[in-house]
Amino acid sequence: MIKRSFIGLTEPKLMCDLIESGPKEPETIPIPPRMILLLNESLDSTRESLVKKGDMVRKGDKLHLYKESSEYVTSPVSGKITTITPVVGHTGLPVVSISLETAPGQGANTQFAEFAEPPDIESAARFLMGIPGNPPLQRLADPGCRVKKIVVSAVDQDMMSTTRQYVMTRSRDSLGQGVDLLKRLTGINDIVIALPESMASLAAFGPMTLLKISQDYTDALPEMIMQKHLGITPLPGRTCEDMGVCFISAEAVFALVDAYAGKEPVFEKIIGITDKNGRLTRVKATIGTPIHRIFTQLGIAADEKDRIIIGGPLRGTSAYTLYHPVQPDMDNIIVQAAADIPPISTDPCINCGNCVRICPAKVPVNLLVRYLEANLYQEAADSFDLFSCIECGLCSFVCRANIPIFQYIRLGKNELMKVEQETETEAENG
Amino acid sequence: MAKQNKFTVSHAPFWHDGSSIKCMNINIMIAALPAALFGVMQFGMPALGVLCLAVSSAMAWEALFNLISRRPVAINNYNAAVIGMMVGMMMPATIPWWVLITGTFIAVVVGQQIFGGIGANPFNPAVIGISILMVSWGGHFDFDAVLVNYDFTFTALTPLAALDHQGVAAVNLFSYSDLIMGKQMGAIGSVFGAGLILGGIYLILRGFIRWEIAVSYIAGIVVTAALFNISNPDQYAGAMFHLFTGYTLLGAFFLATESSSSPVNLIPMFIYGAIGGIMTILIRNIGAYPDGTLFAILLINLINPLIDNIRPKALGRGVNNA
Repeated sequence: MIKRSFIGLTEPKLMCDLIESGPKEPETIPIPPRMILLLNESLDSTRESLVKKGDMVRKGDKLHLYKESSEYVTSPVSGKITTITPVVGHTGLPVVSISLETAPGQGANTQFAEFAEPPDIESAARFLMGIPGNPPLQRLADPGCRVKKIVVSAVDQDMMSTTRQYVMTRSRDSLGQGVDLLKRLTGINDIVIALPESMASLAAFGPMTLLKISQDYTDALPEMIMQKHLGITPLPGRTCEDMGVCFISAEAVFALVDAYAGKEPVFEKIIGITDKNGRLTRVKATIGTPIHRIFTQLGIAADEKDRIIIGGPLRGTSAYTLYHPVQPDMDNIIVQAAADIPPISTDPCINCGNCVRICPAKVPVNLLVRYLEANLYQEAADSFDLFSCIECGLCSFVCRANIPIFQYIRLGKNELMKVEQETETEAENG
Repeated sequence: MAKQNKFTVSHAPFWHDGSSIKCMNINIMIAALPAALFGVMQFGMPALGVLCLAVSSAMAWEALFNLISRRPVAINNYNAAVIGMMVGMMMPATIPWWVLITGTFIAVVVGQQIFGGIGANPFNPAVIGISILMVSWGGHFDFDAVLVNYDFTFTALTPLAALDHQGVAAVNLFSYSDLIMGKQMGAIGSVFGAGLILGGIYLILRGFIRWEIAVSYIAGIVVTAALFNISNPDQYAGAMFHLFTGYTLLGAFFLATESSSSPVNLIPMFIYGAIGGIMTILIRNIGAYPDGTLFAILLINLINPLIDNIRPKALGRGVNNA
């Protein structure tokens, strides 16, 4: 963990990890006998579900809960569905967990092959959602989509992750192919590549426009890339896509290339695993593999009260079970020893101003957090720039009173969005 | 399914830079030690007694108030200890015990706890405590009178009081090196200018106080005092005299910089400090009190919420590019 330097006059500079030179080939995790798939939808007991316990599925089958569901998950293996249970996802979102007992030799669903040539965005969204890197295909397929520019990002999402950099280094020769495929899929010709400065010298990028991103953690955030490199200032409460820029992970682009080359969806995800001693191992695992399989194979221990961090140390999420499956956007798993977990306190803000000075979005965090603590979310949004926050997590990182500021901010945003959705539903229902 | 371990689940971020309120308060006390220890050397055991009673009674008041108000007892973050130490350092070594514990009561309970405790105080609690004592029992803060039984090897006059009574001629009674090295009469922790500067620089370098406030406060003192001095050298003392006497340096590094009652944005910090310095000199040169530091600090604490509204626009605010 990065600590405050002894001389605390200057604010801490958090640097993203860069990929090591000569990275080793990732270790392959074999397909386990049980797989778990997560579907972002709520289970509705009043309707008949399309997937049932005991159903046999083939590799490549799309599993939806209901006829009109837009959410689906593609089965990465053939097998039998053993359980379907609702679970609570991040920020309380409803998620359905489907477990499969793998049964090889069932053949595969080859439906996508019929749509693979010529590539078009609708069929991609219909068949390729949830391939490694989780490309926002549905959003791009939406007729109301305002995206004018695509940024293929080899810059990782959080400090300790190097997965995107690894994939870019390994597959850079097919980047041109990927960019062409994206152009054909989306019809958007303005495609740029964002990558760490140190990688810009890999001479494989030809005439493509490169955005060289510094190692500084805040510079790697999509909103900051937009502001500093594309000259577009993100507006409060609007996503990058709303502003016309779509970020796609480099891994997703290569997965698209592979999917169209093989005419079938791909499921192998590269993940960096960092153990308690900070040692990084890269693995290649099939989406849906429970993470305890990976830990067992690598001999990584996760003990009582440790923390399993998915993503990175500043923006990630923590898992409560080792049966959490590998997800399309899971670039990194970090095991944090119980002793290294920093405390959270109930102390009030002492107005030291560390958060205000470190905030890349210049949010008056010291005032904002007072309103959020008092549940005054609307005032927080109106007067104290709640929605300007780009969720980097630095305010909580430097908070001298150890207030979970980032959590308050997420909570505030979620509560306001819920209210907004309720008003919309009410208005629709007349 | 095998028996599962229970993991710690919480919201991001999962790292912290390791700073804490406790660490800040311990460091503030460490930074104040040179000046406080010098005071003990100069004024003897009574000074040590005052400091100890101030710290312990302040912590006791906070604990007691926490119990009464049914809130968790939070004295282990040393917040009350810092307030007590500051109160003690602003007292003469001969202060009666009852004035002292009244002072810490006012500082901790009236100055901070009734507003909601740590972080909620609009004014610096220690300054509130001492100001109320000064207004109520001014005689105990007449350093010339209360320290009359001491036998000093240097000019046994309180510099600012001498300036107030005798006019600018009094300045010649003191040499700057004596003032800086603590050879002056005054409160336990305010006489040793070099120690306070050392402590202040330590706090600035470690990032526990905001240098902008301390620097602009001192700049406010120096510039205003120099302007007065230039306009009429026969009536007003020079900038250096003001800088090294009274509570000036204690105010600049330890009192005006108190977190909750001072601004956090860059421009407001400069305004806040500068007004503090200017007001201190105005009160000293024009007002009735020999030392204006404490009232000047209360005044800038008062305007802090207003000036701290001068802040940069947040990302995407006032932009029209979509």
